[in-house]
Amino acid sequence: MPNLVAISDLDFAYREQLVLRGIRLDVPAGITLGVIGPNGGGKTTLLRLLTGLLQPTQGSISIAGMTPTDARRRGSVIGYLPQNPSIPERFPISTRQLVRLGLAGKTGLLRSAAADDLHFVEHLLERMGLAELADRPIGDLSGGQLQRALIAKALAPRPALLVLDEPTTGIDSLGQRQFIELIVALKAELKLTIVLVSHDLRAVSAMSDRIACLNVTLHYHDIPQHLPAELMYQMFACDLEAIGLQKPVQLGLPRAKPVTVPAGP
Amino acid sequence: MMPHFLAQALWINPTAVALAMSIAGAILSVFVVLRRWAFVGEGIGHSGVGGAGTVWLLALWFPFFDRPWVPYAAVVVACLLTALFIGILMRSGGVSADTAIGIFLVASMAWGFLGQQVYSQAHHGTAPVGWDTLIFGQMRDFSGQYALAAVAVCLAVVLVVIALNKEILAYCIDPTLAEVSGVPSGLVHYLLMLLLAMTIVIGTRIAGGVLVTALLVLPGAAALQLSQRLGRVMTISIFTGAIGALTGVIVNHRWPFIPTGPIIVLTLVTEFVIAFTIPRFGR
Repeated sequence: MPNLVAISDLDFAYREQLVLRGIRLDVPAGITLGVIGPNGGGKTTLLRLLTGLLQPTQGSISIAGMTPTDARRRGSVIGYLPQNPSIPERFPISTRQLVRLGLAGKTGLLRSAAADDLHFVEHLLERMGLAELADRPIGDLSGGQLQRALIAKALAPRPALLVLDEPTTGIDSLGQRQFIELIVALKAELKLTIVLVSHDLRAVSAMSDRIACLNVTLHYHDIPQHLPAELMYQMFACDLEAIGLQKPVQLGLPRAKPVTVPAGP
Repeated sequence: MMPHFLAQALWINPTAVALAMSIAGAILSVFVVLRRWAFVGEGIGHSGVGGAGTVWLLALWFPFFDRPWVPYAAVVVACLLTALFIGILMRSGGVSADTAIGIFLVASMAWGFLGQQVYSQAHHGTAPVGWDTLIFGQMRDFSGQYALAAVAVCLAVVLVVIALNKEILAYCIDPTLAEVSGVPSGLVHYLLMLLLAMTIVIGTRIAGGVLVTALLVLPGAAALQLSQRLGRVMTISIFTGAIGALTGVIVNHRWPFIPTGPIIVLTLVTEFVIAFTIPRFGR
């Protein structure tokens, strides 16, 4: 399977402080990569580099053959769900308008969205269970409904890569389960490649085909089941079995069907 | 006594300026409130006082600066430079924008008042040229060119908001999210800053440098209390701003000793209180 994302010899430093060093990581098209690691390990920095918000100090990142900045400017390569989007209270637009705004970058300045794209927005509203709420102001949506609307917004331009930053933070266990089911189903339906960063190891293991452990350098990159317990103890000081990584995850979820994964680096 | 029709004609310019500025301010105020930029407007508006203060101090040594139009030109330059400075700070981080604006705001006011006091002392108590107008606003002496400039700024705001509707909304929801989805956030950011600065520059002579921010906050704040539909919010905001501005024109026309700025602000505050109260009565 061709790589959608290719990261080679990536270094990144905030002034003198090296945050990422020598990262080599390929993400084949169609898989979900979960990035885990301790606080300050560089997970969020890696996401910001992937989305073109930061530039590498050294090395390179390629997304569908483009630099992240070029991919971002296309408006149809990267879909992004931030951890806590700072949506102003009582923002005066409807759910449908919010999802349509996901097309703004793809459509371009001074142009109207294509009929085909608007039709896809309606499909997404239906798929996310938001069709009946489409004309409601977003201020009336619950937290879960708003998150689904934001996922629909991220998917509206039909991106190849969906980037999720701590997507299950602040959601109760039922909501987390529904979210994971939704993402797994959407990935299959839309043939998405997903990169997600999370502290929630259960969520990561339930959604990911491959896991990358990041703590300044890349410590591990393989399928979740092969994750060495010693590494997890080292990085998180926690019991692997307690978080369900050594055996099938106890979330009552069907795991995403494993894809053929090349040997780890 | 001046014929009635002539008196009416002379008030076409002030009315046109007031209406144009209230519409431009009302449209921008929706975005200012949503993005919590009220303090940004304060920073830009008050910087004009610092610009005028510089001219009043220079006028003590260089008579060229002691002309009616020069302090206003200084206000224009100060507001545009401050908007650019604040815009860069907000995008680059480092010092928090609020902190920088707070420092800049008090420094501008202090410098402006210092200039006014030193000038008055040197001129035996005479206030510097433009003092009353730039601080509290005045509806008199608007030329046809000034009215045209106000209408042009208003049209620029309307056209930009219509043309870049989706980009501005995406930016206002979350600038970072907009940037990742391919929206040119930087362009939208500086364009909004420029429109704010231009509206403040023209609005300063109506509402005064101290109170001009009211045009850029209160109409949107009132409208957002009454609706969550963008079209309605914009319409209510424009009507709210227009009522405030026209009240200022009428009162200043009838009682010329009353400056327009405080009347506009008090009318807008009253409208906001009504808008804030109405939905709560319905519960």
